[in-house]
Amino acid sequence: MSAKTAKHIAIYGKGGIGKSTTTSNIAAALAEAGHRVIQIGCDPKSDSTTILRGGNDLPTVLDTLREHSKVKLEDISLVGFKNILCIEAGGPVPGVGCAGRGITAAVELLRELHLFEQYEADYVLYDVLGDVVCGGFAVPIRDGLAQRAYVVTSSDFMAIFAANNLFKAVAKYAPSGGARLGGVIANGLIAPYAKRLVDDFVDRTGTHVVGYVPRSLVVNQSELYGKTVIEAAPETDQAEIYRGLARHIVENEEVTIPRPLNGPELKAWAREWGDRIFSVEAGEIREQEAI
Amino acid sequence: MSTSYIERSRGSCALHGALATFGAIEGVVPVIHATSGCGVQYQQGVTQFGGAIPACAAWGNPLSSSNITEKHVVFGGGSRLREQLKNTIKLLQGDLYVVVTGCSTEMVGDDIPAMTKEGREQGWPVIYANTPGFRGSIHRGYELAVHALIEQLPGIPGPELPPEPGLVNLLGIIPQQDPFWQGHLLGLERIFEAAGLTANPLLGLGHGIDRWRRLPQAALTVVTSPWGRDGAQLLEEKYGTPWVELHGIPVGARATGALLDALAERLPVDAARLAAYRQTQESWFERNLVRIAPQYYAGGFQQEFALVGESGFVPGAAEFLVETLGLIPKLIVITDPLAEETRDAWAQPLQSLVDTFKAKLAFAEDAGEIDDLLRASHAELIIGSSLDRPVADELHASFLPVSFPVANRLVLNRGYAGYEGGLAFIEDLGSALLRGRSIKLI
Ligand SMILES: Nc1ncnc2c1ncn2[C@@H]1O[C@H](COP(=O)(O)OP(=O)(O)O)[C@@H](O)[C@H]1O
Ligand SMILES: [Mg+2]
Repeated sequence: MSAKTAKHIAIYGKGGIGKSTTTSNIAAALAEAGHRVIQIGCDPKSDSTTILRGGNDLPTVLDTLREHSKVKLEDISLVGFKNILCIEAGGPVPGVGCAGRGITAAVELLRELHLFEQYEADYVLYDVLGDVVCGGFAVPIRDGLAQRAYVVTSSDFMAIFAANNLFKAVAKYAPSGGARLGGVIANGLIAPYAKRLVDDFVDRTGTHVVGYVPRSLVVNQSELYGKTVIEAAPETDQAEIYRGLARHIVENEEVTIPRPLNGPELKAWAREWGDRIFSVEAGEIREQEAI
Repeated sequence: MSTSYIERSRGSCALHGALATFGAIEGVVPVIHATSGCGVQYQQGVTQFGGAIPACAAWGNPLSSSNITEKHVVFGGGSRLREQLKNTIKLLQGDLYVVVTGCSTEMVGDDIPAMTKEGREQGWPVIYANTPGFRGSIHRGYELAVHALIEQLPGIPGPELPPEPGLVNLLGIIPQQDPFWQGHLLGLERIFEAAGLTANPLLGLGHGIDRWRRLPQAALTVVTSPWGRDGAQLLEEKYGTPWVELHGIPVGARATGALLDALAERLPVDAARLAAYRQTQESWFERNLVRIAPQYYAGGFQQEFALVGESGFVPGAAEFLVETLGLIPKLIVITDPLAEETRDAWAQPLQSLVDTFKAKLAFAEDAGEIDDLLRASHAELIIGSSLDRPVADELHASFLPVSFPVANRLVLNRGYAGYEGGLAFIEDLGSALLRGRSIKLI
């Protein structure tokens, strides 16, 4: 694809689960370790790269495409922390238009602009809105664009549901050259049963967790400074955790095709966990060991 | 097999059905909200092979289309449509503007009802029909157009219309998809008029939206194909208008007589006048039959035939060919996409004819399948669409194109409905059968 073959990595997850935060910190850790990185936000929210560029303005690809017929790379990118090239695909106003087609159009434009060759990136990270809501959002994993996909999840059922949907998309497209799964990133687990629930889910689906990112105030604080943890609090444990994730991505290239649960299986699995959590809450069984 | 014959489709999509329908009402201006190809395909495809075109497709009558591009798909095409509607109203004179949508704008979810409501608030007479091609065939498009008019036209201010007693709505004939649509409507109009009733044909030359405004006044709705049912049911729901369903248009004296009986049963008609009319017409029809006798026998009219066409025509035509003309059915194919239950209901009146002659009755849309059926039938005469011509040539069968698409005939007001329609059918048929004959001097 490029003179220097970039590794394209897509990070999916339900809205608000911490995709952009996690992706940006991974990007920052990769850049800090000397890699050239591009981060592309594929989410109409257009805030994927905010903490990489200190909150500086960045027109989205689609807004620019709407206003101008000819688009230059300079118009739609901004160099952020440690030379990370930041891009936001953007999207329509909520409730109108088709965000999925928007992602497709934006990615097509980036290809036409020879972005990947020109910037000679080592890593291209796609931060993609979670649920694989339609074909458009599957573009990064579908068209041989990204080789690897990761999914960010918590122990919330809706986050797991979105992860399972992504598994379905990966399983569907992988045989025809689509991306495979790098693994699951567990973010912000708090509940006592959370880790076991996520672990059980990855077991059932033939995948694995590549890192547990604890919920941390440092993240919120850094966000308020408009920075990643890597930039704002490089000495913290949290920064080290993101560096660990980045290392994992660099060092472990093995990928899997997940075995998503079908509708009834997922429902039964969730019920089972509902019962177990209820037992804990009711104090019938001793915490931790019970699950 | 079916995939390799896709280009030989016997019908276009819902958008085109709606365009054909709205376009056949004088003063109605359709505004297409879709990519440019949707309108172009209609104007260059459908209008070529479906007989006389509706007014909107006439030369010099531009077809308005928002011609959306990717930008409008991504961000929504609402503002493009608003602009297009405004310009259309400025440029094209109309009594009613109808926004019809294509697949792309429906996928994106452009809020068409809100856009047209906005227009009405500015005093524009504008309604809409959601007609993406994926909603179904051209027939579905007809249904959607009729539905939209029944539902939304009452919301457009219009003149007070004096009641028209004995008014009968006609539904089920789809402009262009029935190449004889105009003639069929005219034929039915004539029958109703003779019965002392007034047909409300809703479509065709000379009929504008006032015809549609009169819908609630009608005493009855007559439906001539399954595609008229949806509208008839809606009229019954809204205005309590009863409806009857004919199995296709009546062709010739027998079926027309049966229709007159049905009308007399349901509506207060002048029985004496009706009887007199029937008698004159029937005797006139009979005497005309006698007049073709020499050619009938010399030309060997009593042939084994295959009939391929839509539900609105095939039953009436088959009955006429067999019962009145004495031809022998080998194969009858109904090509429009009917629901399973509807198929059964429409097969029923053809059953005795099929049984008697051990003919085959099939429901098929696929040209490849129809080709195979035709070959297997060994018919000597094929009455179908121009798609069936190659097999007719192969079988050295006589050929008469009557169903969409019709490539080699110019059809204006010709039609096969009623007494005169029956005679017209005989003329066309005879001409097809005599095509190879040359003059031998004795
Ligand atoms: N590990 C964490 N600890 C604390 N807050 C977090 C953590 N991960 C994400 N957040 C916060 O959660 C919110 C949503 O995260 P974000 O990355 O924008 O989600 P997404 O991109 O998936 O929609 C942000 O305010 C972010 O700071
Ligand atoms: Mg985000």
